[in-house]
Amino acid sequence: MALSMLSRKPDSGLGNIRASPGSPSRNIDWILLFAQGALAIIGLFTIYSASYSKFPNPYLYVTRQEIFLIGAVITMIVVMSFDYDWWRERARFLYGTTIMLLVLVILVGAISGGARLSFDLGPLKVQPAEFAKFTALLAVSAFLAEDRTDTLNYARFVKGLLLVGVPTVLVIVQPDLGSASVLIAMMMGVLLIAGAKAKYILLITVLSASTVGAAVVSGVVNDYQIDRITVFFDQNSTDPALRDLVFQGRNSLRAIATGGIDGKGWLQGQYTNSRDIPVQWADFPFSAIGEQFGLIGCGVVLGLFAILLLRIWRIAGLSRDMLGTYLCAGVFTMVLWQMFQNVAMGIGLMPITGLPLPFISYGGSSIVTFFALIGLVQSVHMRRYR
Amino acid sequence: MAGRAGRAPYGPLADNNGAMAIDKRSTRLGVLALISMLLIGAVGTRLWFLQGVEAASYQAKVTAAKIRQVLIPPERGRIFDARGRIMADNQRILTVAIDWSVIKKPKARQVLFERLSGPLTVPVIDLQRRYEPCFEEPTIPKCTKGQRYSTLLPLPLKEDVDEDTVTYLKERSEDFPGIQIVEQWKRVYPYAPLAGHVVGYLGPITKETVQQYKAKNYNTNELVGAFGVEMSMEDVLHGSWGKEVFEVDAAGGIVRELLDEHVDPIAGQDIQLTIDLVVQQYAEQALETKLKQRRNLPTDLLGQDIAAHNPIDPKKAPSQERVYSSSKEFGTQEWIQFKAPAGSVVVEDYSNGQILAMASYPRFDNRWMGAIGGDKFDQLFGEKIDPTTGKADPDKSVLVNRAVQGRYNLGSTIKPFVAWSAMHSGVIGANDIYIDRGTYKLESIPDDVCASGVRCEFKNATNVRTQRSSSYGPVAVADALAVSSDAFFYRLGEMFWMIDEHNAVLDPALKGKSTLKEGLQRFGFGAETGIQLPFEWNGRIPDDAVKKELVDNEVLGKNEEPRLLVGDNVQAAIGQGLMAVTPLQLTNAYSTIANGGFLRQPTIVKNILEPLVPDLSPGMADLSKAVIVLSFDAHAYKDQLEMPPEVYEPIIGGLSRVTNAGGERSPGVTDPSGFYHTTTGEKLFETYPMNALPIAGKTGTAQGAGSYPWNDSSVFGAFSLDASAPYTVVAYLEKSGFGSKAAGPVVKCLFTALAGRTFMDPVLPSDPLDLNALEPAPPTQLADSSCMPAAVDARD
Repeated sequence: MALSMLSRKPDSGLGNIRASPGSPSRNIDWILLFAQGALAIIGLFTIYSASYSKFPNPYLYVTRQEIFLIGAVITMIVVMSFDYDWWRERARFLYGTTIMLLVLVILVGAISGGARLSFDLGPLKVQPAEFAKFTALLAVSAFLAEDRTDTLNYARFVKGLLLVGVPTVLVIVQPDLGSASVLIAMMMGVLLIAGAKAKYILLITVLSASTVGAAVVSGVVNDYQIDRITVFFDQNSTDPALRDLVFQGRNSLRAIATGGIDGKGWLQGQYTNSRDIPVQWADFPFSAIGEQFGLIGCGVVLGLFAILLLRIWRIAGLSRDMLGTYLCAGVFTMVLWQMFQNVAMGIGLMPITGLPLPFISYGGSSIVTFFALIGLVQSVHMRRYR
Repeated sequence: MAGRAGRAPYGPLADNNGAMAIDKRSTRLGVLALISMLLIGAVGTRLWFLQGVEAASYQAKVTAAKIRQVLIPPERGRIFDARGRIMADNQRILTVAIDWSVIKKPKARQVLFERLSGPLTVPVIDLQRRYEPCFEEPTIPKCTKGQRYSTLLPLPLKEDVDEDTVTYLKERSEDFPGIQIVEQWKRVYPYAPLAGHVVGYLGPITKETVQQYKAKNYNTNELVGAFGVEMSMEDVLHGSWGKEVFEVDAAGGIVRELLDEHVDPIAGQDIQLTIDLVVQQYAEQALETKLKQRRNLPTDLLGQDIAAHNPIDPKKAPSQERVYSSSKEFGTQEWIQFKAPAGSVVVEDYSNGQILAMASYPRFDNRWMGAIGGDKFDQLFGEKIDPTTGKADPDKSVLVNRAVQGRYNLGSTIKPFVAWSAMHSGVIGANDIYIDRGTYKLESIPDDVCASGVRCEFKNATNVRTQRSSSYGPVAVADALAVSSDAFFYRLGEMFWMIDEHNAVLDPALKGKSTLKEGLQRFGFGAETGIQLPFEWNGRIPDDAVKKELVDNEVLGKNEEPRLLVGDNVQAAIGQGLMAVTPLQLTNAYSTIANGGFLRQPTIVKNILEPLVPDLSPGMADLSKAVIVLSFDAHAYKDQLEMPPEVYEPIIGGLSRVTNAGGERSPGVTDPSGFYHTTTGEKLFETYPMNALPIAGKTGTAQGAGSYPWNDSSVFGAFSLDASAPYTVVAYLEKSGFGSKAAGPVVKCLFTALAGRTFMDPVLPSDPLDLNALEPAPPTQLADSSCMPAAVDARD
């Protein structure tokens, strides 16, 4: 597109004004889209390989994921077709709705694994924590962009902190420490770009840690989450209560390690084909990739993430205003943190949490959310000339 | 908050001091980029190490985890008696086990266990504790959390389940998911409690022995010999484990067996004992019958010597002296029955050292072990409390084989060996005459020292009729043995003591001669016999070192001299004081005299056989099909004692006169006053069929605590004079009175039976163990006790 603009003869007039080189529809970041699509397709294969041998219908999970993907693409198209400023104008409404939903889910949400994470709407389970990633980002970015300054005074910092802190605490109370950590990462990223001093970042860290600590002590956090931390510090525990967690982590590590350089081959992974890694299609897709495709496969996936992050980072710099930069920075840190957390827990570097691998893991909420977030980034890119 | 509508439009910052803002923004974005590179770098590095460097070692680890090894237990060797009766057998039992996977979830486990509790007749809590040893047991401190059962094999829920239960479970397999029926071995003792002490039993590997068994490739939760032949021959009986190795998929399902790795188990070797269960049963019956007789002597036959013999003299009580008077001498008095708590009988073939029977009372049924535990076990086998002292009573301990573990004074049964030692050493000659005046006064201690209170006079045993110390007049070795002259042997004891250089040597002729200890050691006293039984005691012959050790360990009082005094040696010469032996040692010593001086190692194992000797009939092995691996049948003697006729004949002669083997009218001794002293066994053996199987022997009465008559232990050792029936029999009955009254009749009955003049009961497989029984073994008795009337008139 850009090339056609350059080759256009100077004397050909203005041409079709709607096909201007600055038109949003002509400024989609295709490389970002490609990386994202590649990851999603790799995800489909991974989900199939990790679930086909475990259910009577081998396509059960992959089919569902395809439906989710279609939904996610539609969501992304909707998000990117609006100017992100249009989204900013609705930030207050979206944010308020999210807070309401978070309170509601704590009160009436479906019980799943001892935690109240989602509304059960028949075939769909809706997790408000996923909405929060989108709306809290929108809200804090909008607030910070109100004042056209690149320094962050204490009052602004505290307000920004509160904007993200309220939904974060509600998510911790659910309790969903994984999602909360994503919100915290996002807050750090946005505030960093907004000019937060190092001591502010430190304060966020301390606040987060003490909130989580208080939640653990007060018994809001259930035993299962505590067990995960325990297992992380004693990965060879013989306590029968921790057995499943120990095996889950150990088997994931072994699956990846035994993959070697070039992997065992598509559908040839003993661990991936077995039930040794529970819910592998959602929690440990990276171990399936590592076992079947080895270091090369892992490298490709990490490379695609790197490209994706690089593109988001680039867009953050290209943004026409600070709002776009903040939005991109938030998406950047969320993708980075969640990707790192999921991959690292599969190789024993981080405790096991339920955080899915963005774009790859099975799960409707996750895939829709990340596609929507990328949609925001695309919106920033598309409208950088406006 | 966000979106204050209508305020300034959101445009680029550039219209203000834009350049600076852009710079800062890119700096901050740079920080973000740096962080992301760090995180991705960390993950990438870790992946590189895992997949690039450590992949092979992880693969090896994973491969090992994908192989499952199932151990196959070997069949333990069986134990037969000399005729092939199966004393220890193996029975295949069915065990109900359950896959670990189906009971992983607590709820599912509880439901399944509740369902299984009824059919298996095991409480739910016991099933839970098999899964989790500390289930609902937080208060018990000894509860250890470790899993007792291998997680590679299904969890056993109940052993030895009957066929009906198995059928019930199999028919309802959909109600009992994961249930498996496993075949296992169980040790059974078809003839228990016969020879329970000899055969022994199995027990778990203890903390102390676990290393040694691990080194021998044992499985730590298997049962090993814990007593008797089961223990001493563990290595022979055990066999070796086999294994099946399977490749399993990640879910634990078996893919295939790795046949290269398959090892068949090797059954343990069978063992044929020298025990003849018929003789064994008879010995146990005779021993128990006599002990019970001695506990319940009649008290109403006043004035007769057959009554209970332990009156307390009311004027002297508590008496320090032995009271021999019959009841008529006192007005009213309390009778003390003999306690007769325990005893032992050993029958040996003196031509080859084989033990035909070895009885120890109290008996026990070795099927109790493993069948019960906890309180019931303590009740049956724990320490018995003596009601009078409130302390544990060792007389009643059950799990002791008194034949090899008993620590006994011998009384006069030691005299033949002292006599041999004296003649062999040259201390006396066979025909040397000593004039027995009823007391012996020490020669090595001057009169003035004696007058100061040191004990210098030693009395003969009191004659029941005369109420005075027996005085036999001039006696030679044979006479002294026949009537059991204590004075004669007191003198030998002192002479032996004087041989020792640092003791006063009165007679230079004694210098350099061999000592009493050296003589007794030749018969095997003071050392383990080496029989194939555990916990054998080595016995004790007193010398300076032994006495010092006893004083140091406070076994003896602190005022005792820590070296051997003349009095100690004098006591030792009549089998009292510090001299102590086991019944087996005594038996083997008599055998050494009986066979003309060949000291053999007694053996209880006749042959070690190739594994899996077939059955002939129920309870009998077909020994004709057995292949002998190692035979103890005709092993050589360890030592040959010099037995020239001038030494041998007085001993045999004296011992023959005890039983009156020659059938003389007066085998005893007539003293100068014309009083005839019978031999100690003369009356007893009047009713013995001497023509059928001539025997010689010696009585002994070992004095116990306080020298009270009711503490006397009764001993008798005898051997056949007919080399075609080469038996030695020793009986030892604790706290049962004179040698001729308790042990003597037992030995007599055994020889009557061995001579074929008494019918010995046939041996039958025993009834099932009665788990409600209150005693370790059911009572037994001689069917025909006419060879041992309840009371016998005889004296020491």
